Amino acid sequence: MFPISYLLLLLVIYIAISVAARGKIAKYITILFSLTVFAFVVSNNMTISNFNYGSFSILTLQFQLNFVSSVLLLLISFIGIFIPLRFKSKPGFFVLLQFLLFSLVGLFTTRDFIIFYIFWEMVLIPTFFVIGLWGGAKKDYAAMKFFIYTHIGSVFMLLGIFTMYFTEGAKTFAMNSLIAGMSSIPVSYQAFILFGFLFAFLIKMPSVPLHSWLPDAYVQAPSEGTVFISSLLSKMGAFGLLVIFVPIFLQSSFDGNIVIPVILIILGIFSLIYSALVAMYQKDMKRMMSYTSIGHMSFVTLAVGGFLFLNGTNALDSQLLYYGAVFQLISHGVIIAMIFSLVDTMENATGTRNIASLGGLARQLPGLSFLILASFLASVAIPGFSGFVGEISILLGSFAVLKYYLIFVLVGVVLTASYHMLALQKTIFGPYNELLGKITARRSDLFSSIFPLTVILLIGIYPALIFHFFNIHALSLFGVMP
Amino acid sequence: MTTDLILTFLIFGLPLIGFPFVIGIGYIKKNYSMYLGTTLILISFLLAIYIFFTNTVNGTVIQYSFNWLPSLPAIIPLGIYADNLSMIMALMVSFVGFLIILFSVGYMRDDPNRHIFFGEMVLFTSSMLGLVLASSLIMLFIFWELVGLCSYLLIGFWYHKPNAASAAKKAFIVTRVGDVFFIAGIGAAILYSSGQALSVTGLGSIHLVWQKTIVSLLLFGGAIGKSAQFPLHVWIPDAMEGPTTVSALIHAATMVTAGVYLIARTYTLFTPTSLSVVLYIGIFTIILSGLIGIVVNDIKRILAYSTISQIGYMIAALGLGLGATSIGLSIYQLESHAFFKALLFLTAGSILHAILNVRDINKMGGLWRKMPITITAMFIGVLALSGFPYTAGFFSKDSIISASFNVSLIAWILLATGGFLTALYSFRMFFKVALGKPKSNAAEHAHESGWLMLIPILVLAVFSLIFGVFQGGFYSFLGAKVSGLTSLDAVPVVLMFAGMGIAYYAYGRESSIPTRIAKGSGALYTLVKNKFYIDVFYTNVIAERAVLGFSFLMDGFERRVLDGLVNLFGNLFENSGTTLRKIQTGLARQYAAIILIGLILALILLRVLMLAGVIH
Repeated sequence: MFPISYLLLLLVIYIAISVAARGKIAKYITILFSLTVFAFVVSNNMTISNFNYGSFSILTLQFQLNFVSSVLLLLISFIGIFIPLRFKSKPGFFVLLQFLLFSLVGLFTTRDFIIFYIFWEMVLIPTFFVIGLWGGAKKDYAAMKFFIYTHIGSVFMLLGIFTMYFTEGAKTFAMNSLIAGMSSIPVSYQAFILFGFLFAFLIKMPSVPLHSWLPDAYVQAPSEGTVFISSLLSKMGAFGLLVIFVPIFLQSSFDGNIVIPVILIILGIFSLIYSALVAMYQKDMKRMMSYTSIGHMSFVTLAVGGFLFLNGTNALDSQLLYYGAVFQLISHGVIIAMIFSLVDTMENATGTRNIASLGGLARQLPGLSFLILASFLASVAIPGFSGFVGEISILLGSFAVLKYYLIFVLVGVVLTASYHMLALQKTIFGPYNELLGKITARRSDLFSSIFPLTVILLIGIYPALIFHFFNIHALSLFGVMP
Repeated sequence: MTTDLILTFLIFGLPLIGFPFVIGIGYIKKNYSMYLGTTLILISFLLAIYIFFTNTVNGTVIQYSFNWLPSLPAIIPLGIYADNLSMIMALMVSFVGFLIILFSVGYMRDDPNRHIFFGEMVLFTSSMLGLVLASSLIMLFIFWELVGLCSYLLIGFWYHKPNAASAAKKAFIVTRVGDVFFIAGIGAAILYSSGQALSVTGLGSIHLVWQKTIVSLLLFGGAIGKSAQFPLHVWIPDAMEGPTTVSALIHAATMVTAGVYLIARTYTLFTPTSLSVVLYIGIFTIILSGLIGIVVNDIKRILAYSTISQIGYMIAALGLGLGATSIGLSIYQLESHAFFKALLFLTAGSILHAILNVRDINKMGGLWRKMPITITAMFIGVLALSGFPYTAGFFSKDSIISASFNVSLIAWILLATGGFLTALYSFRMFFKVALGKPKSNAAEHAHESGWLMLIPILVLAVFSLIFGVFQGGFYSFLGAKVSGLTSLDAVPVVLMFAGMGIAYYAYGRESSIPTRIAKGSGALYTLVKNKFYIDVFYTNVIAERAVLGFSFLMDGFERRVLDGLVNLFGNLFENSGTTLRKIQTGLARQYAAIILIGLILALILLRVLMLAGVIH
């Protein structure tokens, strides 16, 4: 047993040391930081671990490590190891990264709404600075857009939290009691609360049409920033949907009502098709891949919608959807981190991200081409890679929900495969673009990309490693499973 | 039993585990990959023989499954299921795979990336073996996707050729269209049977007829994609851009028959409704691709269209709905086709090797004298393909045609016509290649290939000739009941000779008949020559107009409308800030005036509201 109070304390100490030391050591402390998080998850596996430290005024100091947060904490430790291995950034970046990871650890474990909100906002700060300080040509615009966009979402979430607190006449902001009291308040307030949370989470996911902060933020951020934004920040919305929104919905008077689930399903399908179509037209590799991220996360929206739609009537398919969504979180986090780091390597080697000025890279850069090919195959969910497990579970489960409408999802899947193949054909295959001259990729970059590839293959071939954390009683958390 | 289980696993497990080593050892010395790869597949073949004769022949079904996602009540089984059908497929796949890989040792000898080629071939063979030995639909699908992946990689093996890169993409996307139907089919099977039907032994747990029809039609959608039936047949001819050995193994003998195997495996799900769809899709494909085969000039593409049409026979045989007999007929056609089509592709490969990859049959001619062994083997292949009496194709195809007589007369007529077309296009190709005078410089300097390439060709030629011997045993092994030959069986044979004769009359000698027919038939010829405009429709209308058009529109919407709106909001606040800032002048008089005006306005407003009765 490794209590979370020790973990948070340790993490704060690490950050303090990194700030004080002001040097290369910050990079190595980040790795230590991540290993500590990893150790915490591994030593608390298998069951839901609750940590209760009483309350402080209206705040309750309750923490919970459930299966979703276990998986996301694993992802945090992966990113926290991968970025220092792969990128040679400034010490300041690593301090900000640690601060961000710390906020996320808090966000994914707390069971108090106000603390949740504080962590939610704290995440914005390092991201804003990373984009604004080290970003590309339009960094100010992108940083501002990102900040304001997600902040509008958080405001509605905060209003939702306050509505819950005041209408229920609660003493504290503890999630469990506030969620349990949902059904006791007027329906119009409930609707507003659901809207507030959904709005905040869907912006963060992001789901079309609330996504327009994403391409700018991803493209303008420095590569190491893109890696953690794409890999971790989109998980905040997904975590919110899976762990906060689902229980609130199930406790509200809207439970059994199909309007919100159907909206989620439609948004998921629409995001999938829309992101694939837009991605197909992009000229910039990094921008294209940022739409991939939207496409992957749309499966999670779809799965949550389907899960709520089934409402426990079909235990098997509900599980496929819910577990598939959770698996998709870690799988997408690792795959997209690998893709963006490879795009960075490619840009360093060739000097361009423009798809039209690449071509036939397999001849000059076989190692890089192999890795790009592997990451793309993972992204289109070829078996053996982790993308397959999440996507196939969600697709199989959603047949029970969608029946013939599944065809729209399938169209999205084919379109996704199409633009990946198109990009591969134009960049690494085909005749070599002789204008590029003689180019080489940095070896250390390629070696460090083997790390995510190993993770992808490991959990893709043996997903039980992750499903190990999924306790069959976990769903009883929401009162829909026996 | 446990030893046998492990050995059965090793049939596909050994090459699957071994393929990274095949590639890896190539970095020491490239030829080592060739030897290691060939050895691995040979061991698989020997293991398959061993299991076949120790277990399958005695009626033992080796099966084992475990839950892929443990700690979930949802059981996603993976495992091994080796019954008669699986093992007979495994034998064929490993045997043909071994022969083709042996041929590749000669064929790819000088390629700088041959270690990768052999690694991918080994991965392909193991995935194909895994596919036929899978115990559940999920596992079948996993290997189904892996063979598709290998097909993609191998078609694009010579990635520097723009055509190859494009063909690989096309193959991937078109088969992906089929694959998503497969996924939907599995989803439906889970829903209708609470997960029982995932394992191949539990397929019977779907009871209602409409549910069976849905599941079977969705699975058939997957089969159409992989087995290149109409309307998803367009990828195979383009896939001929890959090395010829790849075409022989993947696009003739094994992967394209995976769809047939899938239908045979899940045959209990097929209801009369879905069977009639299967039958007529098969027949339509036979006629369609047979017609196109007559006008194509690329030797490999002729073989590709012939593959499509021969698989059509397998699909049609399954569509006849005769239970185990259908499976027997279809799988026997599958296996004999694997032999003679692999033979034809390998001989074509041998020819291309000799004449510097000129694939136009109009530039060949007179090759019988230059490379007698290869062309004789090709002759045997063509005889078998067109169903010459007592060759493999005769036994397999004519049995299907005669079995169809009792099911539907239309089907019988069309299947027999298909036989005529087959003879016509295959002998057209053969006569143009073998007879006459060499029509290009390369053809004049052709020479026989080395023995390493000839041995597999000869073995396959022998099998194409004598495979008919096994017909009776084969059918009874799969539980098929087929009646003996009747006088009706003369009809396909007569049609075959007619096709052969016409082919000789028109193409076997100098003649102006083909051009005159082409001119005379006008629009019809143009239609067939352009492959019924199906490719054009997919590429120009669906891909370029519809998908890219939508993509263009959505991109515009994204940048102009959505981003425009967001920026509009941003600018609104920014501009209003800039404008309102000007009021902040710092002059006390101005502030006092504004306060006064505001006060007056507020009082007026109050008065108006009182008059209106809003406030009392």
